[in-house]
Order: sequence, then C-alpha cells, then structure tokens
Amino acid sequence: MPKCRFLDVRITGLVTCVPPHEKCIDDELELFGGNMQQLKRLKKTIGLHKRRVVDADTTAADLCEQAARRLIEETAVELAQIDAVICVTQTPDYSQPCNAAVLHGRLGLLKDCAALDVNLGCSGYVYGLWLAHTMIASGGCERVLLLAGDTISRLVHAKDRAVAPLFGDGGSATLIERSAGAPAAFFSLQTDGSGYDKLMVPAGGARQPFSAATSLVAEDAAGNIRSPENLFMDGAEIFNFSITEEPKSVTELLKYASVETGAVDFYVFHQANRYILGNIAKRLKLDPAKVPMETVERFGNQSSASIPSAICGELSATLAGCDSAQMLLSGFGVGLSWASALVEFRDLSVCELIDYTS
Amino acid sequence: MELDTFIKHFEDAVEDLESGTLTPETSFKDLKSWDSLAVLTVTDAMDMEYAVTLRKADFESAATVVQLFEIVQSKLTK
Repeated sequence: MPKCRFLDVRITGLVTCVPPHEKCIDDELELFGGNMQQLKRLKKTIGLHKRRVVDADTTAADLCEQAARRLIEETAVELAQIDAVICVTQTPDYSQPCNAAVLHGRLGLLKDCAALDVNLGCSGYVYGLWLAHTMIASGGCERVLLLAGDTISRLVHAKDRAVAPLFGDGGSATLIERSAGAPAAFFSLQTDGSGYDKLMVPAGGARQPFSAATSLVAEDAAGNIRSPENLFMDGAEIFNFSITEEPKSVTELLKYASVETGAVDFYVFHQANRYILGNIAKRLKLDPAKVPMETVERFGNQSSASIPSAICGELSATLAGCDSAQMLLSGFGVGLSWASALVEFRDLSVCELIDYTS
Repeated sequence: MELDTFIKHFEDAVEDLESGTLTPETSFKDLKSWDSLAVLTVTDAMDMEYAVTLRKADFESAATVVQLFEIVQSKLTK
C-alpha cells in the first residue's frame, strides 16, 4: 500500500455546512411495510434515526460554498493566497465543468490558482487531504482549499430500504497550508476496483447514458425499488469490506508512523453507520470515547463530508480546549476505496458546523 | 468447532431470538426476525468467532442452520 509522510504542512481550520431540513425514520414506517419491530432494530443496531437532506434546488456545491465562505472569514485567509482548490464530490453540479472551477468562480479566487475535482465518495476527504499535502510538500502551493461534499439523498430511490433511510447531505471546507515545524502527517491509500459494482450508480455516465429505459424502476429480490439512475448498495458486501479492510489499514498506518493505539486522541471514521463504526472500534480495541459515531443518527451518512462533519459536529468543543490533538482519520466506501491519515490538529482557527441558508 | 456452540453464536447474533429456539434443522430464513440486518449480524459473529467470512451466496445456498454450519466449517478447514 502506498504510505507517505509529510512535514511542514498543517490543517488550519475546517467548516461543515448541512442543510436545515430534517427527515426522521420514525415517519417512514411504511417503507418497512409497517414492520415496527424492524424499524426499531434498525434504529437500535444500525443507529439510523434522523438525517439532513437538501431540497431540489440545493447542490453539494452550494453547501461547500457556504462552508468555504465561513472558513475564509474565520481564518482570515486572503483569497489571493489560495493556490489551489480541490473539490471532492460524486454529485457535481454538471458533468462538465468540474465543481472546483465553478466554485473558484463563485468564490472569486485569482486566476493563478489550480482547480480540480476528485471523483471519490466516502474515502474522498482523506484522499483530498493527501493531495493537498502532496501539492504543498512538493513546493508548488502554499495554501490549498479542500472542498468535500455530496448530496447522495438525491440519488437514492425513496423506496429502497437499503439506502433511503441512511444517506444525508453535507458540504465541507478545509484549509491546508505550509507551516514550518508542523508535526509529521502520515497517509495510506488503498483501492479494490474489483468491487466497483458493490456501491454504484449504474446509469448516467458514458457506459450507460440516461435513456427512457434507465428511468424505469424495478423491484429487486429483497423488495427494494430503484432504477439504474439511483444509487445501488450491496449492504452485506460493503459491510464485509469495511470490517475486513478498515482495522487492517488503521493498524498498518499506526505501525508505519510508530504511534501506539492509545496515543491517538480521536479516531474519526467515515460515518457509515453506528454498527460498522462500533464494529471497527471493537476490532481495533479502541476506547469508545475516542471514536465519534453519533453523526449518522443526527445527519445521515454524508459521504465525502462525513469526516469533517463528525469533527465539527462532535469534537469542536473538545478540540478548542486542547493545545493539540493526534487525529486518526479514515474513510472507506465507493470504489472500493479506502484511505487513512494520522494528523495533528494544533491551533485550529475554526472548527464549526453551520446550517445552510438559502 | 461444535454445532451447539455455533447455534449459540447464531442465536446471540440475531436480535429478538430467544436462546434455545433453533435446532439444526431450523429453516432460518423463515424466522420472523430474519432480514438483511440479521445477515449482517450473523456475518459479523462468524467473522469474530471463527474468522470466517460468509458471502451472500453462502446464505443463499444454505436453507437450514446445520447447512450454514457446514459452510462455515468448510471455510475453516481451508
């Protein structure tokens, strides 16, 4: 697995923006065929409850833009100092151009600024951080703005129990900059493309363009309804993948960094669901107090925004109270793709969760 | 691995399933509490207890508890 270590790069601040509209699984009993027992089990075991979803006029770019504006305000970074914008999303405004270019224009950044998208989901935040560190460590950039966000709720069919009650929306903005003497940051990145079809939207790309046929819904063996334009998830396979690969990836990164499990202050995983997180924590024998896992029941699975959302939503007060914190961040999902980072948070200018205002 | 222990792990893994409910011949897919969530929790239990990964096809090919036991056993000896 590619592992790497960076010096003199630090994360300055982060902001996460969530849509204000909340949906609750308690109002969706009919999705479970009126089976109250099943709904209760899902709440208790998987941790499904509430989720924040966008309306038809709001996109991931909108959420990321508001997060970015707040981040820029709070860090007092000058627009002219931003050398690159990376946008991590699988729900861009357009198939072309990329969200990073659109947001570059909306934020009014200078022409001397690189802008590119990264087409990754649940692992994408960590990949974005790695890319930002690489760009800065190579000497090409001083400051990189990382925007990670998705509106997966708009891709799920309302009658697909495997995904509809799970996914929420969110957008985030993180500032990464060169900083002499910043502690080392460690990364590992992995992929298993043979599992590409375990979590996917089959239609809408070049392989299967939108057509009258792709808009037709069908019922699968489990009684879930969706069309090829909707998100499909093989829950059992994704579960197996997560509990097999994640603990391994974290263990190997800590070993590479020569850091003991107990020396990490917080383990922030992609907020897939509470069951998977509890399971990974159990396998790694982590102190549950160090593993935020309430984000899914409050906001839903927010794809690329879930890690910053968990940091801003669950740890902001704690982080504000400590001089520095050793953070293990790890995302896993669509690709299949997974990535882990060990970074030290020190003197964050901002770590805040805000509601989107239209 | 023992069949009795396997059954106990299976019963523990499925929520709302009383201990002593299952026999080797139980068609577990007919249980009221058998659903996609139970597939996950049983998969997890087998991985934790026996370090065996059950796949979707394994659940499809087994009809009774003892048949699933045999699948887990065959994966153990590999």
